[in-house]
Amino acid sequence: MNEILLDARQVEKQFGGIRALASVDVQQAVGETLGMIGPNGSGKTTFVNVVSGHLSIDAGSISFAGAPISGRRPHAITRAGLTRTYQAVRVFSKLTVADNLRTTALAAGREEGVKDSHVRELIHWLELDRRLDAIAGMLTLFEQRRLELAMRLALRPKLVMLDEPVGGLSAVEITHMMKLLGELKTRYSLFVIEHTMRVIRELADRVVVLVSGQKIADGRPEEILRDERVVRNYLGSQGA
Amino acid sequence: MNRMRASKDMWLWISGAALVIGLALATAGNRFAAFIIGIVFLNVLWTAGMNLLYGYTGLVSMMTAGVAGIGAYGTVKLFLDYGWSFWFAVPVSAVGAAAVGVILGLPALRLRGFYFVLSSLVIQVALTLVFIYFPQFTNGDTGITQIPRPGLWLPGFGAVDLTGPGFEIILGLLALAGVAVVYMIIRSRMGAFIIAIREDDLLAEELGIDVTRYKVMVFFISSLLMAVGGAFYAVYTGFISPRSFDVLMSMNIWLMVAFGGRGTIAGPIIGSAILVPIPFLLQELYQIKDIFYGSLIILVTVAMPAGVYGTILKWWRVRRQKQNTAVAPVAIKRMPAE
Amino acid sequence: MVDPNLLIGLSMLTTGLVLGAIFALTAAGVTIVYGCIWLPNAASGQFFLLAPLVAWSLSTAMGWSPILAVAAVLIAGLPFAYLLERLLIRRFYDVPDRNIAYFVVTLGITQILSGVFSITWGQWSDQYNIPPLAEGVVFIGPFPLPANRLIALVGALALLGALFVGLRYHRFGRALRAVFQNREAAALRGVDVQRIYLGAFLLGTSVIFAGGLLYAMAYSFDLSVAWSMGITAFAIMIVGGPGSVLGALVVGMLFGFVQAAVSVFASPTAATLSYLLAMLVILLLRPSGLFAR
Repeated sequence: MNEILLDARQVEKQFGGIRALASVDVQQAVGETLGMIGPNGSGKTTFVNVVSGHLSIDAGSISFAGAPISGRRPHAITRAGLTRTYQAVRVFSKLTVADNLRTTALAAGREEGVKDSHVRELIHWLELDRRLDAIAGMLTLFEQRRLELAMRLALRPKLVMLDEPVGGLSAVEITHMMKLLGELKTRYSLFVIEHTMRVIRELADRVVVLVSGQKIADGRPEEILRDERVVRNYLGSQGA
Repeated sequence: MNRMRASKDMWLWISGAALVIGLALATAGNRFAAFIIGIVFLNVLWTAGMNLLYGYTGLVSMMTAGVAGIGAYGTVKLFLDYGWSFWFAVPVSAVGAAAVGVILGLPALRLRGFYFVLSSLVIQVALTLVFIYFPQFTNGDTGITQIPRPGLWLPGFGAVDLTGPGFEIILGLLALAGVAVVYMIIRSRMGAFIIAIREDDLLAEELGIDVTRYKVMVFFISSLLMAVGGAFYAVYTGFISPRSFDVLMSMNIWLMVAFGGRGTIAGPIIGSAILVPIPFLLQELYQIKDIFYGSLIILVTVAMPAGVYGTILKWWRVRRQKQNTAVAPVAIKRMPAE
Repeated sequence: MVDPNLLIGLSMLTTGLVLGAIFALTAAGVTIVYGCIWLPNAASGQFFLLAPLVAWSLSTAMGWSPILAVAAVLIAGLPFAYLLERLLIRRFYDVPDRNIAYFVVTLGITQILSGVFSITWGQWSDQYNIPPLAEGVVFIGPFPLPANRLIALVGALALLGALFVGLRYHRFGRALRAVFQNREAAALRGVDVQRIYLGAFLLGTSVIFAGGLLYAMAYSFDLSVAWSMGITAFAIMIVGGPGSVLGALVVGMLFGFVQAAVSVFASPTAATLSYLLAMLVILLLRPSGLFAR
């Protein structure tokens, strides 16, 4: 087993008496791609929100790269090397693609901005070269997803948490995005929330299943997707 | 590239300074016109501060006049009662006012959206009441009259006469310096960060930007500009009272930024240049100044949120874009080999 | 002979009751509009003053009977609010963060109205009062209360009661509270949200006008009432919890007694300052707690 990157133990989060996360344990190793699945409202996004510091936890502990991060503010957690995307794509929609990337590069301490060699590689890899002057909000959803990814990768993160990276994309676009994520997986540790089982099956090394805020399964995807409890609680209703 | 821009900028500032000095000298024979120009310069300085705060960072603060008031009263107190040199009293009280502004505003800066606006308004009203009810510092509602203009001794020039156009020149250069400060901030990485905060503060934080820290920095710098403006206003007009720094002033400065074009360098200058002289020039209008400004606030918010300059910029961009619409939509290419 | 201190104390209580009821009513008007439309009406104080100023002109300059004047102002207030909603308020219904835009716009209205007041009524008089509907002092047990203030008190309490009952049991009131709680859910259940917005604005604005008229029936007033009442109503709304009519009632009553007590010992400005501080403390200490939407 590799060194542990993300270590969440006994994490509790309540919203007005409802347990959104009930004593959740999640460990992720360096270089591993971890999938998280579960029905709507099962606490997946809440989990990402507490890890990224957008929500506080009621009990338990979260550490990242060996240091505790629970209670730290989101920008500090980002600087520690953890970045995330959102279910609804999130970029600076009124700024140009170039300004989006420049701001991110500056935030990561790269004074060269868009001319930084790493950022230029990302622009090229994610095929944003010809879109640099466009207003981000005017891009197609797929382009915005790629921009979102480019911004997160420009931060040179140790862990990228992707909240439904193919949500809303067409079949062709999903295939394309899968290819990108497949390459990404070879260089980064990924944490992926998805409803599209194909993504989980092809991408994840290991899968965690959340139902009603509780972890009900944790293992290799081929085992998990056959697991009777998972099928009954989740896949059965999804028809995937 | 950079050197070209730097030299272009340099020429811009030099011609700005020339324009300012020219305006001050051209109106030197007409005290009324000169006074309007002087007040315009002060408002350019104030709107530069408000623009940094509202136009670029997206913070609608209604306590800017109060901060200017602290700067003015502080300077006058040190200058008249303690016998300090005006030129020394200004920076001291400006830093003091900005510090007070940050201390008062700091808890409010944690609030988002409307609650920040409301808190800043509450602080502004409280400051006005403080100005009225602590007459030992402010002489209460009567105000402080006959504040003398300071003298200035410049090496090489000797004593400079500041009763004539000299003071307008100083105000103009000060305004220019204020605009330059904002311009340089916007060109820097801090500028990129505060624009990111304006656009989406949660996303900015998510990208590793310390949002609170930058908000406080912006608040401090803009308070500094407000307070310096307040101090010079006091000695320029010779009279200050709590009414000089009430919430209406905060609103008027906001209006000049919004009317001219928030988040642009030229917009607030245009806003000040258009809106400041109007009540002076139309004497009958002075009576209905509040009605006029209030109506403009509504008009700008409803019909022209980008302001005069912002709207012109938009037209220009749309025109330019129409000329090169030849950009083909990007097709999905094959992945480049790693 | 009655102890004069006791008399002061008792009249303080009755003053507090009258002021509290009027504060609560006005703040209820402000909080209904904010809770429903998300419109923080910074001009509420100017509205509060506008109604009695018009009634004053009708009753003194035109010689109308005070009852007629008050009724006419209340009725004329409806088309005024309707036009405002059609021409201005409606434009922002789809704007995100519209509460900031509304706040700025209503600050503009504040500036316009205070400009209008100072070049019109401000030139005509310093103090205004609406001729009392009834003369004399009424004793309720040991509490002395001038008859006109008793009428104002009864009017304010009756309106507050009607507001409570209406919001709870009337069809419109229930729809309005549904929009308070969840706009999208209300729309899904077939509530015409825009119509509710219009209704809430008409109701809230009329209630503010009524508050101003009741105040003017009980006390003489001047132009400074606009600012102090605007601050007071906002403070009550924020402290009591935006959108909460019950909060407006409780905090409004409390502030009324504070005002009555402070006015005996210090200037009314001290009361205004204390509301400001109360509002600030709540804003800063419970930024999300009380106000989370």
